[in-house]
Amino acid sequence: MAISPTPTYLFLLSLFTLSLFLSIPTAESESELVADLLALQSESKSGVIHLDDRTIAKFLTSPQTPRPYSIFIFFDATQLHDKSELHLPELRREFALVASSFITNHNHSNTKLFFADIEFRESQSSFQLFGVNSLPHIRLVGPNAKSLKDDSDQMDQSDFSRLSESMAEFVESRTKLTVGPIHRPPILSKTQMGLIVALLLISAPFVAKKIFSGETFLHDPNIWLSGAIFVYFFSVSGAMHNIIRKMPMFLLDRNDPSKLIFFYQGSGMQLGAEGFAVGFLYTVVGLLLAIVTHILVHVKNAKAKRAVMISAICVSFWAVQKVILLDNWKTGYRIHGFWPSSWN
Amino acid sequence: MAAPETSTAAVPTLYTNNTLRNAFGGVLSFFILLLIGVMAFSIRLFSVIKYESVIHEFDPYFNYRVTQFLAKNGIYEFWNWFDDRTWYPLGRVIGGTVYPGLTLTAGTIWWLLNSLNIPLSVETVCVFTAPIFSAFASWATFLLTKEVKGTGAGLTAAALLAMVPSYISRSVAGSYDNEAVAIFALIFTFYLYIKTLNTGSLFYATLNSIAYFYMVCSWGGYTFIINLIPMHVLLCIVTGRFSSRLYIAYAPLVVLGTLLAALVPVVGFNAVMTSEHFASFLVFIILHVVAFVYYIKGILSPKMFKVAVTLVVSVGLAVCCAVIAVLIALVASSPTKGWSGRSLSLLDPTYASKYIPIIASVSEHQPPTWPSYFMDINVLAFLVPAGIIACFSPLSDSSSFVVLYIATSVYFSGVMVRLMLVFAPAACITSGIALSQSFDVFTRSIKFQLPGISSSMEVDAVETSSATAEAQNDAVKTEKSEETSKNRPSKKSKKKEKEKEEKPSTKAKAEKRLLALPLDSSVIFLLLLILLGAFYVVHCVWAAAEAYSAPSIVLTSRSHDGLHVFDDFREAYGWLRHNTDVDDKVASWWDYGYQTTAMANRTVIVDNNTWNNTHIATVGTAMSSPEKAAWEIFHSLDVKYVLVVFGGLVGYPSDDINKFLWMVRIGGGVFPHIKEPDYLRDGQYRIDSQATPTMLNCLMYKLSYYRFVETDGKGFDRVRQTEIGKKYFKLTHFEEVFTTHHWMVRIYKLKPPKNRIRGKTKKSKSKTSSASSRGKRSGTGKKNPWQ
Repeated sequence: MAISPTPTYLFLLSLFTLSLFLSIPTAESESELVADLLALQSESKSGVIHLDDRTIAKFLTSPQTPRPYSIFIFFDATQLHDKSELHLPELRREFALVASSFITNHNHSNTKLFFADIEFRESQSSFQLFGVNSLPHIRLVGPNAKSLKDDSDQMDQSDFSRLSESMAEFVESRTKLTVGPIHRPPILSKTQMGLIVALLLISAPFVAKKIFSGETFLHDPNIWLSGAIFVYFFSVSGAMHNIIRKMPMFLLDRNDPSKLIFFYQGSGMQLGAEGFAVGFLYTVVGLLLAIVTHILVHVKNAKAKRAVMISAICVSFWAVQKVILLDNWKTGYRIHGFWPSSWN
Repeated sequence: MAAPETSTAAVPTLYTNNTLRNAFGGVLSFFILLLIGVMAFSIRLFSVIKYESVIHEFDPYFNYRVTQFLAKNGIYEFWNWFDDRTWYPLGRVIGGTVYPGLTLTAGTIWWLLNSLNIPLSVETVCVFTAPIFSAFASWATFLLTKEVKGTGAGLTAAALLAMVPSYISRSVAGSYDNEAVAIFALIFTFYLYIKTLNTGSLFYATLNSIAYFYMVCSWGGYTFIINLIPMHVLLCIVTGRFSSRLYIAYAPLVVLGTLLAALVPVVGFNAVMTSEHFASFLVFIILHVVAFVYYIKGILSPKMFKVAVTLVVSVGLAVCCAVIAVLIALVASSPTKGWSGRSLSLLDPTYASKYIPIIASVSEHQPPTWPSYFMDINVLAFLVPAGIIACFSPLSDSSSFVVLYIATSVYFSGVMVRLMLVFAPAACITSGIALSQSFDVFTRSIKFQLPGISSSMEVDAVETSSATAEAQNDAVKTEKSEETSKNRPSKKSKKKEKEKEEKPSTKAKAEKRLLALPLDSSVIFLLLLILLGAFYVVHCVWAAAEAYSAPSIVLTSRSHDGLHVFDDFREAYGWLRHNTDVDDKVASWWDYGYQTTAMANRTVIVDNNTWNNTHIATVGTAMSSPEKAAWEIFHSLDVKYVLVVFGGLVGYPSDDINKFLWMVRIGGGVFPHIKEPDYLRDGQYRIDSQATPTMLNCLMYKLSYYRFVETDGKGFDRVRQTEIGKKYFKLTHFEEVFTTHHWMVRIYKLKPPKNRIRGKTKKSKSKTSSASSRGKRSGTGKKNPWQ
């Protein structure tokens, strides 16, 4: 039954029958298609319909435009899920979130927009049909799209960063439908929250007692000291930059894949390992200086003193020089003094 | 600056007479401070020497205009000023939407100088406000660091701050922006807080609230203070450092400071309504509870106290939970949880990049990479950890504040490169402490060993042989001076604390003579430190001269045939000022709004205070539309002239064509018929023959490249490094009225609307012809009897 509309369509199309004749069978099969889609939607947990070559032919290529629905398609590939830079699983989750939010916001009764995903292994010909050759890829097939490749709207790569919100906005701008608020699952379930609150309440008197008696680890300055130094190291190494920009620790050399690139030239960007290395250099000089001026002075052995000091001098000198050279290399600045002109 | 540092460290050991030595040290440090102030001022004059005495960039022009208004009309007019020259036709209430601190400061300086019969122009005062205040800031740093670790550290920190590049970047002469005075206010507020904490005096507490008020007047960054100080108070309480001095330092600040802050119109009730301030109130409550507990503890016997504690803790917990629940409910009920986007992006750094692209797109809100630290604080980055450790030995109330300050600010600077400015003073203070302490240690070990048997490096030998009266005196003296500086904080503190601090100090007395390091390595270390300082000086001077002094209103370029000066901006604004009617409206992209109102004195549609996105989007839409549609938009806004900035001839990269995609994006955000892909060929932004027809027909392209082919015959754009796509075209709805010398600014006039009735066409033509417009205007308005 599901396949029966297709031959009739082809037949009618080949005859170039006018729309008068067409309208009656489409009206029937349109509602059937919608019913099928709704059924598929209710089968899936998140409301994302899983499409393959056969169903794409059924729902998208064969029905006459305008179709009574738009389909918002996520192109997935299971074999690429482990490539972290593509963020496919994450985007797929967000996509499902938009889908389920849309469906609950419209009480399961909206038949204008459906969410679907296609897997690469199963339906390679559909990928060709859409002309998709890179992932992540999200596409909206509107009711009037005749050619799947040219008439459908592709979501901009740069918008993926904002995840489900931008997907919802994209859908809203193209289809004139409202998605409504996105229902994210709370980070902690209600029972977990209750447990945590209970634990906090129970432990509060003990903590308060400890604080009053002054016995907590908070009273140990060494904890604070190492905390402060760590925060310093963390910030100065530009780790925040790496987190916000999701920088990798190192890159593979394009010319020679066996080599790794740890240092990136150009001041606007840095790699993870590079940041930590320089952050370490920044921190180690200060630490050595502090060791010499605060700890070493209490050491009685003169030889040990001299040995430690000389090694501290060498390491500090090397670190400072390294950072200066790296900075010149990375930024390309040439720092120079302003000497009297008669000196030249 | 290494020289005065060594001398200050050595000075205290030169004289045996205590009072004379102190007096000499006082005079010397006074002169050093004076020199530091002179240096802080003069290192910022590179912009005036290399260019000229002008206001820089964009925002300072607005501040300058406001100051002019203040100087001319007085404070009450300023407070009620409704500016109809910008955001036409909406206007803007200036008095209620600016932080008035900077303007009032410069206005006061100008008024003072004029009443002393020193006739400086408002512009001169504005140009030099920032350098003057950076001298003040370095003095405030001296005071703050002196409170924490003594005079030597104070002087070093002040010298470092006087030339730290991060601060220079915001305070060169001509950079007349809020940060110029705000950093001084920030440091001074911290100093007064520490001072109050050390003395427990209500006088300083009141001063502290007033300094805080000044900070609130000056900069939105005051929220940093009102969160950092409560954090420190909380830290002190948690680590068992509560004292009555802490109470005096904090309680008046919250009460008085909040009341005063609410006086500033732009803050108003935000001072009690937004989440940024809630922490201070919460800590205020906690402080009272703790103070009450300590009071009860003093009254009751230990056993009774235990009973009371269990009672109070159970009751207090219930009350606390209720209060916190109410607070959370209050906060949660507001859509942004009561936090502004910028503060949220500080707490959760990934917030901005996810949800607020406008904040994320601004370059100074980017997270910095490691070279930014080296550029902005240079070698201080190496010294800070040593300073942090120095603050922990021994840990006092004031030094714990410094540690907290540096830990929070370094984290914030890691999130946003702009906040490097808040981090820089902390870095100067800690590295000042580190430098002066290490100088102290090294010079002491050199001095202990020099007069003795010079070849002998045995510490024991040094101890016995050079235990001359002088050396002993020295040890006692340095000890004493340290003790006096240490004593002050603990003067009124509890006995327990005093004992704590005295124990190690008596121990230290005995050990002091042992504390020498080997002579040769001390000398090497000292030399290397001086070298490090010298490198810092060279770097700072270089940064001040080369990197941070460009005013961006006058541009220069050095080529093999000498220096070229591009003064096109002022040329264009001058033309507008002299050749257009006072009430004409000029449309341009928002970047040039402040400059147009300040320099050309003409009404603009949008400006750098980007408060109305729709209005900006309208201008962006007009710029991205074809000529006719753009003309209609501009005409509906009453615009007479359109100004575009074009760098293609001289290779000025930040011109309107390069900003154009933002106009499309912002325009498309409000008016969906503008679509970014229409302007891109395969996702690439280009203006050559491959460009899309939409791009080649949009107003911005046409206004930028009109007649451009006449310059070199090919139409080669030097910024995009390509020949332009469409070379010969005519304008139908706009006419070119002025193009500056280097074509950097081009001004077009909207052609008058076409009219079908013959007689009226004539009239409207004569009305807009620029030469006789004024005479005709009065004629049409009043009915000229001679006509």
